[in-house]
Amino acid sequence: MTILYDEGQQAIATESRRVLEARVDKDALLPLLEATGEYHRPFWDTAREQGWTALALPEAEGGLGLGLIELGLIAHQAGRSISGAPFLTSSFGASKAIELFGSTAQKARWLPGLASGEIIGAIAFAAGPDALPARPDVTFTGDRLEGTVRGVSAGLAADIAIVFANGPGMPVLALVELAGAQRAAVPSFDNSRLIADIGFSGVPAETLAVGSTARDAALRILALQAVVTAHEQTGGAEALMEIARDYALTRKAFGQPIGAFQSVKHRIAELYGLVELARANCIHAAAREGAADFITAAAAARLSATEAYDTAARDCIQIHGGIGVTWEIGLHLHMRRARSLAIEQGSSLFWEDVLVDQLAGEAA
Amino acid sequence: MSDLEAYRTTAAAWLASMAPSFGRAARKGLSEADDLALGRRYQKAKFAAGYAGINWPTEYGGQGLGHLEKVTFDAEEMKHGFPSFYFGISLGMPVPVLMQFGSDKDFVKERVLKALQGEEIWCQLFSEPSGGSDLAGLRTKAEPDGNGWKINGQKVWTSWAHYSDYGVIVVRTDPTVPKHKGLTYFWVDMKAPGVTVRPIKLAGGDSHVNEVFFDDVKITDDHRMSPVGGGFAVAIATLMIERYVATDSAGFGPHLDLFVDLAKDTQLNGRPAIKDGRIRQQIARNYAMRSGLDSINVRARLMMQAGMMPGPEGSLNKLVAVRSRQKLSELALDLQGSDGFLFDEHASQKEDWASSWINAPTGRIAGGSDETLLNTIAEKVLGLPQDHRPDKGIPFNQIPA
Repeated sequence: MTILYDEGQQAIATESRRVLEARVDKDALLPLLEATGEYHRPFWDTAREQGWTALALPEAEGGLGLGLIELGLIAHQAGRSISGAPFLTSSFGASKAIELFGSTAQKARWLPGLASGEIIGAIAFAAGPDALPARPDVTFTGDRLEGTVRGVSAGLAADIAIVFANGPGMPVLALVELAGAQRAAVPSFDNSRLIADIGFSGVPAETLAVGSTARDAALRILALQAVVTAHEQTGGAEALMEIARDYALTRKAFGQPIGAFQSVKHRIAELYGLVELARANCIHAAAREGAADFITAAAAARLSATEAYDTAARDCIQIHGGIGVTWEIGLHLHMRRARSLAIEQGSSLFWEDVLVDQLAGEAA
Repeated sequence: MSDLEAYRTTAAAWLASMAPSFGRAARKGLSEADDLALGRRYQKAKFAAGYAGINWPTEYGGQGLGHLEKVTFDAEEMKHGFPSFYFGISLGMPVPVLMQFGSDKDFVKERVLKALQGEEIWCQLFSEPSGGSDLAGLRTKAEPDGNGWKINGQKVWTSWAHYSDYGVIVVRTDPTVPKHKGLTYFWVDMKAPGVTVRPIKLAGGDSHVNEVFFDDVKITDDHRMSPVGGGFAVAIATLMIERYVATDSAGFGPHLDLFVDLAKDTQLNGRPAIKDGRIRQQIARNYAMRSGLDSINVRARLMMQAGMMPGPEGSLNKLVAVRSRQKLSELALDLQGSDGFLFDEHASQKEDWASSWINAPTGRIAGGSDETLLNTIAEKVLGLPQDHRPDKGIPFNQIPA
């Protein structure tokens, strides 16, 4: 069952939008594209100062005891403004892994720092196209990790990572401090995602879950993150739809605003449809956290949000014509982000399979 | 168990008890006349059991419950294939509008009670040969006649008019003012002298829509449901009800579960089609689309329940759902290959892929074409400019033909 936002939740949406619109602009984001290892510090400082890092963690662990619905609202606004760092999602994923599957000692060690934002977490599950590989490249033996995880978002800045590793005859969900790992920056089309290849040579790690539990746990973490990302994608798509609408109202050709031509106005109306479907799926998925159909709801949100953001990026630029492809106007910031978010936590190909497995009653 | 779940359980049990008499199996092989008669008995049974007019005021014979109970019941009811579609339009739009805008309350109450029990059926006389998407361009006219009015003209695509006792109608009462300002809203007796109903056979083989001709049909002024010249607003109010009454994320075609079952049961390239990536992608995409609409609709009902106005996103329902259903139905036939030729023109669009496919174009045109809906979203929701309209602001009778 989906929900209507209550007053407190609406206030979170309004306030986070106000703060982000005041502190983030494209002129600060454009230079980040041309540097590796850089992110927009004012964004992350804002997230910490506003308590967004603590939002979805339990009060006992230094969190605010709210959930996916509230974090989703923040992520939506972050998506509208193009968030300057990937940590809102990456640290949330690491925090949930520790909160749900960690020992008391592990929680006490890491959660307060993650809640304050002092510690940054990353999720390192994927091997290329496989968001949750049957046989991960990284091995876990004798409490040590060996091997390389490629293309980890937030990897250049994270203090800890949750790794899906190949243990002795079974998968392992492991928690590792990255101080002892080798990190190589991956030059990317969206460099503020801080993407790194992370190499482990005998780096000590601790287990969070083992065997089939590890796989279920990893999928659950991905789904939780996917719902946050889906909100972010929906926010980005919504912003692009509004930018396209505003441009179509002001730009004139053939003696009238281009928005008066059906080829343009229908294109924008179709974007509205994609944004609203994505938003509706996001609200539903966030409200299903912990329910039996959560994975299904998360997959649906992820698929519709990816479609909305990618399509909005394509069409918004198309509607702008030549000015749309310039560096300065910055629409490519959204286009780049639409793609990086589409890949993080598994592409549509992954989530389509997850969803159909759920619907067809097959093991995921 | 929540109140709503308790309601669902009770309703489901009652519906199951009705299934042998009125359900899918009981209807098999019936002529349309017999099926309608069965439908009337089913509607009466619903009324007696307290499942007619679930969210209507008790003073009109309704149950005074909320939208959530209504939707809950509808979802359960849909599982059994009852003959309820004869009353879908009647109880969906015209009768609620009559409750809202009818002036003679005793008359209204009598009509509503009969309609709720399936004894009388109402139709909605809006579209015309020259006024479909351009509703306000309609030409059927009502002229003053003594103390009342005289109607002449033609309506078209009127669902169930051939079985209807009454209809609500929008007509032109003043051709000398701009087109939206010269319309008035009435109810009419479909059995009155001068009303002729002629069924139209549609591409899929069925004939539930009609042409309706009005030749000097005389009505008294108490049939009027809007101020003279104020009919367009009531017509829009009718269509707004439609936006959330007529919602089905399956686009009035089969449930996605049926496609999943088909994909599991069909061998493609030596393995179940559910393993085929092309099929999986379509299942996933359709699921995501439908779950989004479901969420939009549930939120709309929660808002109505809370006394708020639902957001404009409800206008996406038909646009998104029906064209997806059209493509999915094509794919379902592809999946059946040479087994997909079999066609039963009496099959249900909700359960049969060929029936869903051949009737899908109707769904994309009726109740606002895709293009009209996109225009509405662009203009009313997003504030984009209107199309170039040469008829704007000039008297109706001076619009170039």
